[in-house]
Amino acid sequence: MPDFEKSDRRFAWALVWLYPPSFRRDVGLGLVDAMEDRMRARREGGASSIGARLPAAVDAFTNIPGEWIDAFQRRNVRATPDTKDRSMADKLMQDVRYALRLWRRRPGFALVAILTLAIGVGANTAMFSIVNAVLLRPLPYSNADRLISVWARTSQFPRGLLSYNEYQEIRKQNGSLDSIGLWLGQSVNLTGVNEPQRLIGVFASGTFFEALGLRAERGRLYTEEESGPGAVKQVVVITHSLWRQRFNEDPSAIGSTMVLNGLPLTVIGVLQPPFDANEVPGDGYFINGDLFMPLALWPVPHGIANAGPFALSIARVKSGADVVTAAADLDVIGKRLLAADPKVQQGRTLFVEAAHDTVVGTSKPALLLLLASVGVVLLIACVNVSHLLLARAMDRQKEIALRAALGASRSAVARQLIVEAALMAAAAAALGFGLGRWALRGLTVLQPPSVPIPTNVPLDWTVLLFTGGVAIAVATLCALAPALKTARPDISRVLAAGARRASGTGRRTRDVLMVVEMAMSVALVAVSALLIQSLLAVQNVPIGFDKTNVFTLQFRLPQTKYTKPEDIALFFRNAIEKVRAIPGVESAALVRAVPFSGNGGNVGYVLEGTTPADPNSPPQARVHFITPDYFKTLRIPLLKGRDFTDRDDLQTPLVAIVNETFAKRGFSGGDAIGKRFTTPQTQGPVTIIGVVGDTKHYTATEPAVPQIYVAHYQVPLIFSSLVARTNLPPLTITDQVRRAIWSVDKDQPVWSIYSLETAVDRTQGQSKFLALLLGIFAAVALLLAAVGIYGVTSYGVAQRTHEIGIRIALGASSDRVLGDVVGRGVRLMLIAVAIGVAGAIGIGRLAAAVLFGVTPSDPTALAGAAAVLAFVALSATYLPARRAARVDPVVALAEE
Amino acid sequence: MSLRSIEFHVLLALAGEERHGYAILQEVTQLTDGEIELEPGTLYRALHRMLKDGWIAESSRRPAADLDDERRKYYRLTPLGRRVASAEADRLLRLVAIARSHRLLSRA
Repeated sequence: MPDFEKSDRRFAWALVWLYPPSFRRDVGLGLVDAMEDRMRARREGGASSIGARLPAAVDAFTNIPGEWIDAFQRRNVRATPDTKDRSMADKLMQDVRYALRLWRRRPGFALVAILTLAIGVGANTAMFSIVNAVLLRPLPYSNADRLISVWARTSQFPRGLLSYNEYQEIRKQNGSLDSIGLWLGQSVNLTGVNEPQRLIGVFASGTFFEALGLRAERGRLYTEEESGPGAVKQVVVITHSLWRQRFNEDPSAIGSTMVLNGLPLTVIGVLQPPFDANEVPGDGYFINGDLFMPLALWPVPHGIANAGPFALSIARVKSGADVVTAAADLDVIGKRLLAADPKVQQGRTLFVEAAHDTVVGTSKPALLLLLASVGVVLLIACVNVSHLLLARAMDRQKEIALRAALGASRSAVARQLIVEAALMAAAAAALGFGLGRWALRGLTVLQPPSVPIPTNVPLDWTVLLFTGGVAIAVATLCALAPALKTARPDISRVLAAGARRASGTGRRTRDVLMVVEMAMSVALVAVSALLIQSLLAVQNVPIGFDKTNVFTLQFRLPQTKYTKPEDIALFFRNAIEKVRAIPGVESAALVRAVPFSGNGGNVGYVLEGTTPADPNSPPQARVHFITPDYFKTLRIPLLKGRDFTDRDDLQTPLVAIVNETFAKRGFSGGDAIGKRFTTPQTQGPVTIIGVVGDTKHYTATEPAVPQIYVAHYQVPLIFSSLVARTNLPPLTITDQVRRAIWSVDKDQPVWSIYSLETAVDRTQGQSKFLALLLGIFAAVALLLAAVGIYGVTSYGVAQRTHEIGIRIALGASSDRVLGDVVGRGVRLMLIAVAIGVAGAIGIGRLAAAVLFGVTPSDPTALAGAAAVLAFVALSATYLPARRAARVDPVVALAEE
Repeated sequence: MSLRSIEFHVLLALAGEERHGYAILQEVTQLTDGEIELEPGTLYRALHRMLKDGWIAESSRRPAADLDDERRKYYRLTPLGRRVASAEADRLLRLVAIARSHRLLSRA
């Protein structure tokens, strides 16, 4: 037969293979023959290869779709009992029964396989539910895809606040927005009730409701005019949950008065959900509030129009427009504003992003990393189950070959395997779904900060579809290798091998499976090692103060009640004295923003005798307002000069203490004592009287920045926090501290009571959470891989018992046999490590955003992971290898 | 009842004797003086359909040994297939009669 004829036949087979199975079974062979004949005829007629084959291909492709449709329609028609061929459904049912029978006979096998898969599916369902809720689900507002955030961007702050003037100009000049609203959240004091309470308030413009598409469930919302300076109304809109809590859903709440920050405000409306904390992911998630007040009621000395940048924005783009058009539109407005006002900071531009990005931005890399990792765990589980099925199919190879020789369809066995895998996947999916939902509750309880897991993760169609898709993928992956391996058994070879099992059959497939599973384990172990290193790096960063045994709480004096700075200072002095008197308190002080509380502020400064490059944007320093003893309480080292004293007050010249970085950057030799600087917020120069050590303020990973400490008594502010060092567990003094403050002012609510240690640890929550979860995933992956390697090697040895017996009988030493089996494992392992390390670097890149102090290609992590896998793989190979070395040739050969 | 032309041709090709697939192709070409050259895919689609409908069946008999190509399947008309073919032939005959009465035929 000429070569081209052989390949013509293969070509015909390839085309016929695309037809539905029933068609192939009935007339497939005939069609191949006919196609081959036709191609030969064309060649004899002088056609080229293409000329012979192209019409065949065209012909096949015009008929295949119709045949599939026919096959599908035929399947829906029940075959009559007397039909010679049993219908596909019958065959499938038989396969199902057969699979169940196998499971009953070897329940351990089925159980291990299903449980392995269920854990994988469960982990994926749980992670995907979170990803779905956080990253995929739209924000709970109508047409949420049109919501955007507008920021003022400067070189220092990519997401800076907007000023009232900028807001007004954007409203007037834009052509791409339906509306834009301005808002800021701030706690407010509710008084005139039994116990003073702190509520989360939102000061918002009237347009805010319009932009978000919010409506009143009862009463009305306030308008833009009622919220702006000039015509501001003393009104408040409350959320449904506050209406329930405070008013017991009483309709007469509308029209009643709430005293907020000392102002009597009339309740005019109840907001319709989605302002419900359970609907959206937890704390800090976008807009979170109990009540909404007109923007102009925000307490600020000269009114909101003169307050500078102070508020966040939310805008809705016109239907048809998108983020890009809005960005272009606002960019022009930003440039115009810059040109019109010389006081605006150089380089200030307007920056637009989808509101959804604002919300999920920081958690995205962490979540995707977790999802990728559970995917890898599931793949390893599939590889293991795939191998189990393959091994069993190989054991049945002789039976299969015999059946094929007797005329059974070659695909019958493959079909049976696929059905069994599908059943396993279905069982695993059902079980895994339950496991996943259960695991999710566990994760929700952990409530890791900076990974916004909603308290109420919804079970929606997306999650169900995902789990279904995963199940299909699992079935396919598990059945693929075994089905391919058994679909075309080499009948003559298997039968020729006689009673012996053909040694080495399917060995290559098994090797590939083993390499895949080892490589994935290396990658996962390496990534979790990176995260653990990163966590350790975060924890080892010096934070500059002693976080242990410090009690903190926050309060805000109502400006309406404490109008004069003297009154505020007096309240503070009295409160501090009372707290110091509490037994167990070693020292106490006030600070405007406790480190790691998330609060804080910056101030521009100009050193005396210098002029900044751009007068509108002087260098910035982090500013802290503190009372004497703050450094002592937090154990921040005083490097030079002196601490504040009670005599640094409103009557004395302004003084400040700076940190080491400020001193080093500002003055040669760091000699700052006695030097002076000015800030836009203070009148006259401020004299530096001390230098203290650097401290971290928001996160342990932030770089060192210049810091200025200002005496609280010289610049009294209404918002303050108490810090107290105790020689008891800090929270044991909570009640005494509360009573101490209420003894000074019975109407003063306090909140955010926690130990400083908790606050610091919480900022490391994301790192810990990630390291913990990935550590678990990596451990599961390793365990699965170990089980898999052990299983594959044992199986290989068992299969080769006869061969090994002969070799030993011919004089091979048992060391030689041992070395042989282990050597084979080592070779596969080396390949796997190479692939796995490359994979780890790839995943590490994905994780780069959550890594600190370690690069994705960190050699320690990669080498460590490789070593761990080498140990596990060698152990898992050694045991079966030893068994091989102890094969007794007499027994092995007698098995014939 | 109308019949697809290709199926009628297959029935006609099998009316004389049992044939395997490629032989049917050649027979159809011959019967139509080369006017219809079926491609294998189209033919086998029809064959499959007709097998399912029971018009044709795989033949168990083999032709004379020297002509036999043993790996091939031969097809034969079933009684049902024969009835379908003759019904279609009758229908065409009636149409031809009508055409003739309207003087549409070039030859009598």
